[in-house]
Amino acid sequence: MTTLLSILVDGIAYGMILFMISVGLSVTMGLMRVINLAHGGFALIGGALAHALVTHGVNYWAGMGLAVLGTMLIALPMERGLYARIYRMGELQQVLATIGIAFMIIATVNYTLGSTLLPIPTPEGLRGSLDLGFRTLPYHRVAVIVAGLLVTLFLYLLIERTRFGIRLRAAVDHRATAATLGINTGRIFALTFMLGAGLAALGGILGAELLPIEAYYPLRYMVLFLVVVAVGGMGSITGSFVAALGLGTLDTASRYLAPEYGTIVFFVTMAVLLTLRPQGLLGKGRA
Amino acid sequence: MKMLRSFIPDTLLIALAVGAFFAFPYDLAFLTRIVIMMIFVLSIDLILGLGGIVTLGQAAMYGTGAYAAGLFAVHVSNDPLLGLLAGMAAGAVIALMSGLLLMRAGGLTLIMLSIAVAQVLAEIANRARDWTGGADGMRGIRMGPILGQWRFDFIGQTGYIYCVVVLFVVLFALKGLKASPLGLMARGIHESPARMRAIGAPVYQRRLILYTIGGAIAGIAGALAAQITQLVSLEVFSFTLSAEAVIMLILGGAGRLYGAILGVLIFMVVHHLAASVDPINWLFLIGLMVLLVVFFLPKGLLSLPPALQRLIGGAR
Amino acid sequence: MTFITKRQLAVTVAACLLAGAAQADTIRVGVIAPFSGPFAIWGQQFQQAIEVYQAEHGTEIGGHSIEFLYRDTGGVNPDQTRALAQELLIREGVDYLSGLVFTPNALAVAELATQSETPTVIMNAATSMITTQSDYFLRTGFTLWQVTVPMADWALAQGITTAVTAVTDYGPGIDAENAFRSAFEAGGGTVLDAIRMPIQTTDFAPFMQRVRDQAPAAVFGFLPAGPPTYAFTRAYNENGLREAGITFLGTGETDETTLEALGEPAMGLHTAYHYSAAHESEMNHAFTARLAEMFPGSVANLASVGAYDGAALIYHMVEVAGSDGPAAMQAAMGHAWESPRGPVSIDPATRHITQNVYIRMVDRDAEGRLINREIDTIEAVPDLGLSQ
Repeated sequence: MTTLLSILVDGIAYGMILFMISVGLSVTMGLMRVINLAHGGFALIGGALAHALVTHGVNYWAGMGLAVLGTMLIALPMERGLYARIYRMGELQQVLATIGIAFMIIATVNYTLGSTLLPIPTPEGLRGSLDLGFRTLPYHRVAVIVAGLLVTLFLYLLIERTRFGIRLRAAVDHRATAATLGINTGRIFALTFMLGAGLAALGGILGAELLPIEAYYPLRYMVLFLVVVAVGGMGSITGSFVAALGLGTLDTASRYLAPEYGTIVFFVTMAVLLTLRPQGLLGKGRA
Repeated sequence: MKMLRSFIPDTLLIALAVGAFFAFPYDLAFLTRIVIMMIFVLSIDLILGLGGIVTLGQAAMYGTGAYAAGLFAVHVSNDPLLGLLAGMAAGAVIALMSGLLLMRAGGLTLIMLSIAVAQVLAEIANRARDWTGGADGMRGIRMGPILGQWRFDFIGQTGYIYCVVVLFVVLFALKGLKASPLGLMARGIHESPARMRAIGAPVYQRRLILYTIGGAIAGIAGALAAQITQLVSLEVFSFTLSAEAVIMLILGGAGRLYGAILGVLIFMVVHHLAASVDPINWLFLIGLMVLLVVFFLPKGLLSLPPALQRLIGGAR
Repeated sequence: MTFITKRQLAVTVAACLLAGAAQADTIRVGVIAPFSGPFAIWGQQFQQAIEVYQAEHGTEIGGHSIEFLYRDTGGVNPDQTRALAQELLIREGVDYLSGLVFTPNALAVAELATQSETPTVIMNAATSMITTQSDYFLRTGFTLWQVTVPMADWALAQGITTAVTAVTDYGPGIDAENAFRSAFEAGGGTVLDAIRMPIQTTDFAPFMQRVRDQAPAAVFGFLPAGPPTYAFTRAYNENGLREAGITFLGTGETDETTLEALGEPAMGLHTAYHYSAAHESEMNHAFTARLAEMFPGSVANLASVGAYDGAALIYHMVEVAGSDGPAAMQAAMGHAWESPRGPVSIDPATRHITQNVYIRMVDRDAEGRLINREIDTIEAVPDLGLSQ
């Protein structure tokens, strides 16, 4: 019984971290129809900025905010210069172009900060653990769970309830028609891309206790992020949410019960799910 | 005349391979690695360039071929050609088995499934360490002479000639395949699966056959690597290997076989030179190279001469 | 395989390469290591330590000048490693090989080293069996058995009688688990549980929870360096193992290049290892000071000392035997010298380095930096893996 509860607690905490770092990818991949293998690159940029700021004495929360903002500002010219053209390419070209971008981000971080770990010292408030009675849960995981719920709510409201969301959905469904209706689709796409990059940075920073920031971050975890998005269904925030929690719990369960087969269970589950539902759990239409 | 012209690139390639043997007698080990990689990338050109099947898991077949050839050499026979057949068969079997599932999928799903196959195989190889040596690598591979005649020598002359011969056999086989009914149908499926389905072509079955042949060739490449290095490590299944091979193909130009050869040559040589000048930052250069090609030469470097011709012609 | 001796090869090379004759008294050493990719730090640490050694001892010995050539493997890549070794031997005419961080890479060179009679000084690759693969292999690093057995013995001496092992599920991890278990149980301890964690694990909380539930006196961990180690030590603290009084036992987890990144949670971790940058000796102070002076920002770790002693061993072999491979191997057997890590020697039986193993505890030095403070020494430990 305790094991079952432990699986649930750890699974949700881990799943929420997976969700936080892949939701940005779900936004760009689903809404803008681009297979963005450089997603981890934006998490890395955010993490590296936060590392630089916080280790130079900036407050953790302020550093996080500035790093997310900084990543979004870096993402803007990249969207205008590179991604605006990548949207129109075939999937193979998208894969290659974004791998190229990931390589360049890795090399840049490696050149400026070296190839060692880039820790982001957590503030006093996030250290220590919450006592759940039968066991403890680290505070920073509690923070990730709260952040994950807030992000989900924010994205839901943004996409479903705001003018921006309406325009975005219109631009995604039919770009040309949306443009004739006077919607500045270029700007909508740029803003959405920045949002995706910002979420990547936020996830990178909050998840850094588990997936520590270092230059090769984008390549090391590329497959992990893609699995979550593919299983969840591209563009579906709820899908990513369900997939992340599901995969997180499954992975955690296999670690408790049969760690020997952890990796195989993870990928076989993914393969089965994708075969049964090629569009992902909650994906809609063409991927 | 036309017949003759189609042989010009091949003659040139053979001349290049022979020329390299004499021009770089001390770099045969590196040249051999390039040749093996060319075979591997040709296997991707078959499924991606000809069949339009986009995957990022071709290393699954390469790795299986490598381990099969290694196990064959250790436990059955140290004859290189038989080992090559073993690698080829193993690559084909894995491609066929996984293809039954994969070839029904497309887009991101297919990419993810192909990655999963390679990852699961890597984990199996890691766990079966009594057979594969796990993370330490599979050792004890000692190859006998080729056809009982030619021993593998220290400088790598035999190894180079062996791999070059295999490369040309594969290249000519693929040229034949391309011109065959299967090849033509594959091109049709690539351009429009719906249309081919409409005229009654068995799309799924043809894709599966193509994928299996591609797997066999990747298996050959893996087997060669195992025989030359005499060691197989888990990295033969790595995602990076699959991704880099696709990059090399697109760099050269997909769908025309020679693009695979050109792409590998340029990527490996640039990597080799860049890594010896500035090992820390060569990755930036590779990334930039990929971006430039995708943006400005979507058909690969093979299309550079015609593109330049047009440019110069246009300027006139 | 055609058997080509060094001499035959030299004749071939000399006949083809006239330039070779002009550099007859320069001994060249090829260093094969990752200089790019996620493991680039290894190559960097190797090169810096070798350059420190050359700055201290000059580039000439016994009438020969010594030149080091560096080649990049990018990571675990036996194909590339073998090709590079061939290039170094055939085109560059090197007389010694060295470097080699990963086991598969080292194994890929074995046959070449034997055929060409080239002494090959392995600076890291830590599986015991490696040195049995070629009579020309020497090693100045460590083996997992060499440092793990003393860890288990020390734990027993502290009155720790129950432990859980948690290792990454791959070759070196299994090696470490076996070493710990055999020594711990031989000394009367009980291993309550042996956990093997998948190599792709990013979240270690479940394993730590499982350890905690069994309430052992200690947990012995082994993971590949880098991100997994970081997350593992985090999980140790966050799941309350420290508060529960479960002692952390490890080996290379508190590597100096990542120690600052581990931060406060690393305090008090116990590890057994063959080198600490904080080792108290004049020689080590001089070494670390010069390293920091020549390469600001660099810290010494196991890779540095492996390369530094590798260079020392090569210098000795060159001084005695020049470019004569078999004679150089003879000269290396039993050779003993003083290293920044303490007294070391080459065991003729295994061609592996015999050295002190230190029990260390993470602590802060006078300037507040995290260090591995040595609290106990087990003297002159040979490789313990091959007798198993």
